[in-house]
Amino acid sequence: MKGLPSLLASFSLPGALFSHYRRHPLQLLALAVMIVLATMLWTGVNHLTSQARASLNQSEQAVAERQQVVRDDGQMLAVDDFVALRLVGVCVMPWLEVTPETGNRLVGIDPLAAYCFGSRNRPSPALDQPLNGKPFLDMGVATAIKSRDSRLYLLTPDTTQTADLPGGYQLTSFSTSPDTGELGDSFLLNLEALGILVLLITALLLRSVYLLGLVQRRDSFALLHRFGVSPDRVQRWLVFEILALALMCVVPGVGLGRWLAAGLGGGFGQALDGLFDIPLYAGQGQGWAMPVLVMLAVVVIACLGDLLLLRFRERLSLILPKTVYSGLAALLLVAGLAMAWLAPSLPWVFIAVALVFAGAGWLAPYAVARIARWCAGRSTKPLALWRYRELAVLARRLTLPLVALQFALAMVLAVQALVTTFEDTFDRWLGQRLEAAYYIEVPAGADGRQAAEWLTRQQTNTPGLQWHRVMRGQAQVTGTDNANNPQVDVFAVAPVGALIRSWSLLEAADQHWEALDSGSGVMINEQLARRQNLSVGNNLKLRLGNQQRVMPIQGIYPDYGRPVGEILLSAETLPDSFNVRFESFSVTPGKPGIAQMTDALQGIWQVEALSMRDNGTIRELATSVFDQTFALTRAMTLLTLILAAAALLMMGWVFFSTRAWYFRLLVAWGMSQRQVAGQLLRLALLLTGGIAVLALPLGIWLTWVLVHRINPLAFGWTLPMAVYPAFWFELGMLSLAVGLSIAALMRRQLGRPAVAPVSASALTGGER
Amino acid sequence: MAESLLAVRGLSKHFVSGNETVPVIEKLSFTLGQGQSLALTGRSGSGKSTLLNLLCGLELADAGTIVLQGQVFETGAKIARQKAMKWSSLRRQQIGVVFQEANLMPALTLLENVQFRAQLAGRSTASSQDWLTRLDIGALAQRYPDQVSGGQRQRAALAMVFAMEPALILADEPTGSLDRHTADEVTQVLFDLQARYGCGLILATHDAELAAGCQQHLDLGHLSSL
Repeated sequence: MKGLPSLLASFSLPGALFSHYRRHPLQLLALAVMIVLATMLWTGVNHLTSQARASLNQSEQAVAERQQVVRDDGQMLAVDDFVALRLVGVCVMPWLEVTPETGNRLVGIDPLAAYCFGSRNRPSPALDQPLNGKPFLDMGVATAIKSRDSRLYLLTPDTTQTADLPGGYQLTSFSTSPDTGELGDSFLLNLEALGILVLLITALLLRSVYLLGLVQRRDSFALLHRFGVSPDRVQRWLVFEILALALMCVVPGVGLGRWLAAGLGGGFGQALDGLFDIPLYAGQGQGWAMPVLVMLAVVVIACLGDLLLLRFRERLSLILPKTVYSGLAALLLVAGLAMAWLAPSLPWVFIAVALVFAGAGWLAPYAVARIARWCAGRSTKPLALWRYRELAVLARRLTLPLVALQFALAMVLAVQALVTTFEDTFDRWLGQRLEAAYYIEVPAGADGRQAAEWLTRQQTNTPGLQWHRVMRGQAQVTGTDNANNPQVDVFAVAPVGALIRSWSLLEAADQHWEALDSGSGVMINEQLARRQNLSVGNNLKLRLGNQQRVMPIQGIYPDYGRPVGEILLSAETLPDSFNVRFESFSVTPGKPGIAQMTDALQGIWQVEALSMRDNGTIRELATSVFDQTFALTRAMTLLTLILAAAALLMMGWVFFSTRAWYFRLLVAWGMSQRQVAGQLLRLALLLTGGIAVLALPLGIWLTWVLVHRINPLAFGWTLPMAVYPAFWFELGMLSLAVGLSIAALMRRQLGRPAVAPVSASALTGGER
Repeated sequence: MAESLLAVRGLSKHFVSGNETVPVIEKLSFTLGQGQSLALTGRSGSGKSTLLNLLCGLELADAGTIVLQGQVFETGAKIARQKAMKWSSLRRQQIGVVFQEANLMPALTLLENVQFRAQLAGRSTASSQDWLTRLDIGALAQRYPDQVSGGQRQRAALAMVFAMEPALILADEPTGSLDRHTADEVTQVLFDLQARYGCGLILATHDAELAAGCQQHLDLGHLSSL
């Protein structure tokens, strides 16, 4: 019988504990909604980022340079060539590009022929896709299509050597599109870093809503304690309560996040497909377990971190006075700033970001409170004095939602700057690389010099014609600290005309283009400059062919597409011993049009067709992929901001409600409701405006870290740092809108009878 | 009878609870002379606090008239903005309200609270410290409400009221949360100052002893008019 009362007690305890939510069902709903929304948001961002990464990885594989076999005489390949190569044992796979009279480009392939590539060296991951005409189809079907244009390529594994080929053939590179390379990787790395920030913000929001309920239940806990219920037992039930709620809310939250990502990601997938003509978007690949577990952990830590660290905190607060906490926060902030500046590797930068956010988040509400107290100290009017003192109270009491809003504002600000910077940079980079209207490969075995001479002759009587010839090869940088004497790619250009001179440079000497044109200097890419610690004016020692050269660096140009070091020099200065591995022309044909030019070049090179790219189309398609990604990023960060703003609104409203008595006191003292509402408005605007002002430096700093610290450490190049004050203004307006909304909600409350504070703390003025 | 400070005629107020209409005050009439005091008694829920709220315009009556310092408030009709402004002006300058508790702004010191109230009333803040001293809490002027006892907080509340030099004080159970000894001290101060400065006082209380100290008595539990 002894166990019965104990059993009954164990049932009545949760009943007593959970009775709070019976009386305040909206609070339970708010907590549940917050868990669902936070889970949805983070899962959405995380899911989208991983899908985008998978998609870009696939696209990179699909468009990565591969090897092809071409004829020495520059003639187009035919089926006879395929037969001849296979008969001598060369592994080749036919790749027939067909442009139907209507519709997009199609690719006919023969998967059986690709078996000689081996499973680890497939010619394209695209071949794993069904041959359904999107864009791949069976070779037999492709040859039967009535087309405007078709061309056969023969792809061969990387292991094939020139010596393996029969006479009359040679190897050359094969690619279907420009490689967006590290620009995409860099963007995704930053997106992942921001995903972690989203997780932090959602954790803060959850914590703020949960603690609000906990504060209101404090009296019930005290009563239970007086009735003999141990705090440990209460805590165990609280753990059970939040775990049960988290389990109920996290799973639908993950589902919603996946739904959100799928909805938004569809457009991204279409854009990728359009660019590469290949179904690339990775779709719904990620499982449920990881996001569910992560969010469960976040909910438990965010809500019950205090319980888990209670003893530690108690000990800490016994040892440290309050002022030491601010000092500690300032120390974290300074240490984080210094570490971000000096960090030698990415993990240290991420730790620095964590330290700065911890310090800034800790300090921000205290900073607002301190500024408010300082203003109060200078006020001569008691009403202003009261307003500033009240602001200080609000700043301290609303710490968590305020910090969440500050982080969200900073993040949105950084993402906006980052995305806009990426957009500008990407546009400019594509613009530089695709400045000419057409890119024409010099056929294998053909002489580019004859074409160059023809183009030079045309220059005088063809308005709008612009061109340059590029010869690619390799050189060795010598005399550096690096004992390896690294190989670098050489781009030898001539003439150094308008197509090149429009490049934007990171650093340049006077008359740099003239110096490049005359062969009295070189330009290098940023990667090489950083790795070899080179700058403009330094001499670069090079082995070009069999010659040793010392050439001054005239300029450093950004290059986001390739990780390797690169040198740009005038083709006129190349020694005869330089091994030209690849040759091309970039041409803007001017008035006569491209058809006349291709006819002429085909005649010069004695080929039936040219390997030519329309740069305008490539630029348009490439831009569309990134535009979609940028739009998604903006949408997700905006959602984060809206969630943070909604949380502050909710918390602000609830907390202002606890102060409603004092606002009604003002009415009792003779202020009109309109005047009190005006005071409320000023307070709310000061609070949200203040936090927006504090978010500004944090956001700018985060932008700087993303573009100037993370990128160089991860990829060896920086992005230009830009600031967008118009967007700051928009964010400021949004913060003020939150303040206005809080004031509007509270004004409605002022019209209702207020209840005098009932808790012991409130009665003694403990909310000071 | 002293010159009339306040006249109430046919005042009625009801509340709606669910579908039920609960009358709280019905056709109540009384007058209060300048410098006189009136005790409002009655059990909980008899309408003491409601009547005080009606008398300072914090709530609106359903019917009846209130005349305060010659200003007439017809409360049967929906109150116009001008009337609301008049009530606000009266509360700011002429009516001092003391609640059972939480009369002070927690973020201000005792002195700042008194200065705040005096300034709202358009009075000089120079005598704020004097008022605290007169109420025996001058040494606590720089303390915040949570740093003093309940009795000291109520003394500060009285200092605030007297610093605004009101014509009428409405006190709603001002000693309800205090122990007997402290309550007696606070009451004594209240009556002394009220008598000295000649303002009217309406005191809502459960305490018969306290009610006996007033010149008039209105029991809302038994009387509908006086």
